[in-house]
Amino acid sequence: MTDRRTGHVLLGVNVLVLGYLPAAWQSPLLAKDSFVDPRYWEAIGRTAERGTLDAIFLADGPVLGDPAYDANPIRLEPTVNWGHVAAVTERIGLVATASTTFNDPFELAERLLSWDHLSGGRAGWNIVTTRGAAAARNFGLPDVPLRDDRYDRAAEFADVVRALWDSAETGREVRHHGELFRMQGRLRVPPSKQGRPVLLQAGGSPKGRALAGRVAEGVFSAELTRDGAVEHYRLVKRLAREHGRSPDDVKILPGLLLSLGSTEQEARRRSDELHDAGPASYSVQWLSQSIGYDASKLELDEPFPEEVLAAPADPQTFQGSMGFRESIVAQIRRTGPTVREYLKQTRYTGSGHSGFVGTPEQLADHIEDWFQAGAVDGFNLQPDVLADGLEVITDELVPILRRRGLYRHEYETDTLRGHFRAGSPSHGLG
Amino acid sequence: MTAPYLALGLAGPQLVELTGDPGLLARWDRLPVAFTVLGLDRIDGSAPASQTLDSSAVGAVLAARTDNGRFLVVASPQRDHPYNLARRTVSLGHLSRGRSGLLIGARDGYSARTPDGASAWGPPLTAETAAAVADAVRKLEQSWPHESIIGDRETGILVRSHEIVHADIGGAFPIAGPLTAPEPPTGASVLAGWGPGSGPVDLVLGGASVVVTPLGAQPPRDVTGVLLQAAAEQSLGELLGAAEGLLAAGFRPVPAGPLRTALGLAPASRAVAGRAAFPEPQPYPSL
Repeated sequence: MTDRRTGHVLLGVNVLVLGYLPAAWQSPLLAKDSFVDPRYWEAIGRTAERGTLDAIFLADGPVLGDPAYDANPIRLEPTVNWGHVAAVTERIGLVATASTTFNDPFELAERLLSWDHLSGGRAGWNIVTTRGAAAARNFGLPDVPLRDDRYDRAAEFADVVRALWDSAETGREVRHHGELFRMQGRLRVPPSKQGRPVLLQAGGSPKGRALAGRVAEGVFSAELTRDGAVEHYRLVKRLAREHGRSPDDVKILPGLLLSLGSTEQEARRRSDELHDAGPASYSVQWLSQSIGYDASKLELDEPFPEEVLAAPADPQTFQGSMGFRESIVAQIRRTGPTVREYLKQTRYTGSGHSGFVGTPEQLADHIEDWFQAGAVDGFNLQPDVLADGLEVITDELVPILRRRGLYRHEYETDTLRGHFRAGSPSHGLG
Repeated sequence: MTAPYLALGLAGPQLVELTGDPGLLARWDRLPVAFTVLGLDRIDGSAPASQTLDSSAVGAVLAARTDNGRFLVVASPQRDHPYNLARRTVSLGHLSRGRSGLLIGARDGYSARTPDGASAWGPPLTAETAAAVADAVRKLEQSWPHESIIGDRETGILVRSHEIVHADIGGAFPIAGPLTAPEPPTGASVLAGWGPGSGPVDLVLGGASVVVTPLGAQPPRDVTGVLLQAAAEQSLGELLGAAEGLLAAGFRPVPAGPLRTALGLAPASRAVAGRAAFPEPQPYPSL
């Protein structure tokens, strides 16, 4: 590929509450309960908007993990939280995650469209299914349905939601008699400035990618290597085309874990200090969940045994993300680290999502490289600590990207769908 | 006898007006009424109006754009699960700094119909089911005490998470819990029911103590509170004007502050300790 890609990258920030590292809460910039303080959330929205970012994302699941050492498992409800932030901002897009496993499509369709109307057309819905028995027990079930069943429900759920959003425009009732949902009715919510919320999809399983190709306008993916990212980029764009859509209708934004400093050394020191301030058991637990194997049973100073790297016995019951597992195993196979080396190495390179430790200038190089390679339409940046990491994105990274002609100077569109459509056309699809 | 307080009941079209007009919103925020119900027509048996908005989405806007106004979000278990509802309720409790509460009705007039008339989650659409929702929301909000957040940088412990308990709710909606966020610092949200048989709530609307008066009718004076309800075809301006008139004519102004304080309600009583959701956190080694 010799031709240089035109247009600008899309930039989102995945707001993992206080930051993706467990020790984020220990930042001197934060109070002990900042994670539920409206001023904290308002500041996130305003800082992102100052950087003319495209969107801020909020992950979610209807279950509480242990918050003893980490604010990441603590979750205000995303449509309410982002509804609040939308009310104090004007241009930034906002994406809320909501489960198709444990919501009702009519209720969620009405709530999302209401929020979209109230935000002036800046809402997005990240469509996910929910894993884990702990979440199921909050809904009177002993365990969640099998993966394929969850995705079948997600597909029908999304169809019902889209039909209901149509009904708000046309005033005509929806009569849905599907495998899983039966209802008759319509929404009476006024239309939003962008018509309806933008749909995003985050899973990396085959059914997840199929759903993305059929309905999603954005994919929040997990990529560790540029080659893998190029392959998945082309796959999802091709799936979109097979469903009669333009490849430009679906934007691909992998997550990127960040620790930034004014020198590479400073960035590494920041990352090390934050990692050392958090519990080691976290990385081991995280790895266990991600690969479907109890990593505490592994010898820390031995390489990963082959049987651990082999596919999980039953993909239907494996509780982790298939996309994450795939990218982790590929990375381990490539470098053959010991378990301890891998866990420490992921401090700098990311795990599941790719990671970046360095300066804003180097980050701009990385973004430009992947963008020009046709691996991404943009990135969903995940700072280690939002309280100061987001300021660096807004005040240092964005100006560099602007100087390189990779990012806009002012908002030129005012809805989330408008922001997505203003991004660069798809690249390298032949 | 002290004069009654005034509360307002909005229908769907007035939710659209309130959130779409900064002037009306500022006027609403200045009114010293006890609270405003965001979409009473959703659960009072009315036919659906031409327009409405999800009540919690409206609440999120009010929490951010106003300083004083208090409100009740309206919901029903017809299509809403109590775990999801409790999450939105506790979130609004934090974001509004205690100015919000929840009104639970048995049926949602705006909801889609199902062939067998069933709810999305199974239980029948009765007052008993609405009461079960109130019970679940209260227990879930209290499953994580706010005091457990310590943020101790010395030990690396953010939350004494062994103080968080499973809710272990049975009956119509079996829910293990705990909730995904702590109880607001202002305490568990005010829960309201509609009419008799509302169950374990802080406030019953439409009963003998808080009387519902249609906009245009003469409200009683020998009650605790009067809920002035606008019909769908009446304007928000008319409702606010009438409220301003009644407050000038002797209805009791309620000063700014959390909803629970405004209604003179004691902190919600807490159930006996439940099953710890997590082990007691200990200082930890790093890798």
